[in-house]
Amino acid sequence: MAYELQYYPGATSVAENRRKHMSGKVEKLREISDDDLTLVLGHRAPGSDYPSTHPPLAEMGEPECSIREIVEPTPGAKAGDRVRYVQFVDSMYNAPATPYFRSYAAAINFRGVDPGTLSGRQVVEARERDMEELAKFQIETEMTCPALAGLRGATVHGHSLRLPEDGVMFDMLDRVRKEGDVIVMHKDQVGRPIDKKVNLGKPMSEAEAAKRTTIYRVDNVAFRDDAEVIEWVHRVFDKRTIYGFKPEN
Amino acid sequence: MSEAFSDANTVQLEIFPSRLLKPETAQSLLNEIAEIEGIIRLFIHGPRLPQTVPYGPATGVPVQHPGNKVIEVAGQAIELAVYVGGIRMEVLDADVKEQVRDACDRVLPVSFEFREGNFIPRMQTVSDYAKRGPDADPIMIGMTDPKGKLSKHPICILKPEQDE
Repeated sequence: MAYELQYYPGATSVAENRRKHMSGKVEKLREISDDDLTLVLGHRAPGSDYPSTHPPLAEMGEPECSIREIVEPTPGAKAGDRVRYVQFVDSMYNAPATPYFRSYAAAINFRGVDPGTLSGRQVVEARERDMEELAKFQIETEMTCPALAGLRGATVHGHSLRLPEDGVMFDMLDRVRKEGDVIVMHKDQVGRPIDKKVNLGKPMSEAEAAKRTTIYRVDNVAFRDDAEVIEWVHRVFDKRTIYGFKPEN
Repeated sequence: MSEAFSDANTVQLEIFPSRLLKPETAQSLLNEIAEIEGIIRLFIHGPRLPQTVPYGPATGVPVQHPGNKVIEVAGQAIELAVYVGGIRMEVLDADVKEQVRDACDRVLPVSFEFREGNFIPRMQTVSDYAKRGPDADPIMIGMTDPKGKLSKHPICILKPEQDE
């Protein structure tokens, strides 16, 4: 029987969502066009070529190396793209993802990415087209709710604040607004105004966000409700504590 | 007024809504509160809204945040420098406290916490002394905006005639 990756213990909806994020088997909820994505990322003009830092690998002539022969370069590396970043912020009020699970999702399911996990934000650096592929995946799927998560390259303040009355996570640079029943981004991820408004789709309702979240909260699914998770966390802590302890004397 | 202020029987309150308030909601709540007799002093608390992008590649670009509005309270225009997250105030006695609670019940569209405690300093600290000297108005104690420019935006006295 083939071994099936298990990713994360637990029987609650939060544990199930964590497994989904890590395995990359997430539901696609919305669409964002390539031009819109380029516009909100703000690294280059929409429709322009990818600027490069070196000639394509095929033209460069690589040195003889067994590892290079085994590992196929990512499309971005092959073309010599610049390294660029995408940074997400997820609200503590039942946002679908958290920085850790965005990093797990990136590191497990994508090649050539460098995820950075911080308390309130998560950044991924990669060759530009590889980064765009990942950003598109995370924005389009249930990993992101346009109201409870946001693309924020600078000035990320807001993830731990109470939500404003309209339910769109506080952003002091006002990159995202609720217009009618959809969320619209009218600045790029660092706060520069962009030419057109990018429609990010409908926000999740409170009930849906509570169902899709990967955050344990006492007012939703409490961490202590998940006996199997608690057992494994205890086991990891226990092993970490006694690791290397040799009572020989 | 300053006698009442120095009286230790004054009550300090905090209104803490479960969501950050839109300027319009904040305006109607503050207007309701301004109607109540016996509010000694009050300040608005919340995350600051910058006029321009403070850092990153877009530094200096104007922000124009919808929360950064001029609201009108008791006939006076006040420019909001923060997104209203809470209101802390000092009132005369427990009766006024109940009136404030009723105003919140009427106006706030979201649930809120309403608590009594110590939120504004009642005594001058060494730093206050260094800033204002020995003859400082006791009502100003603890009313500074740590990041604001007090000389540019002085504290707003809503009903000056009551202070006489």
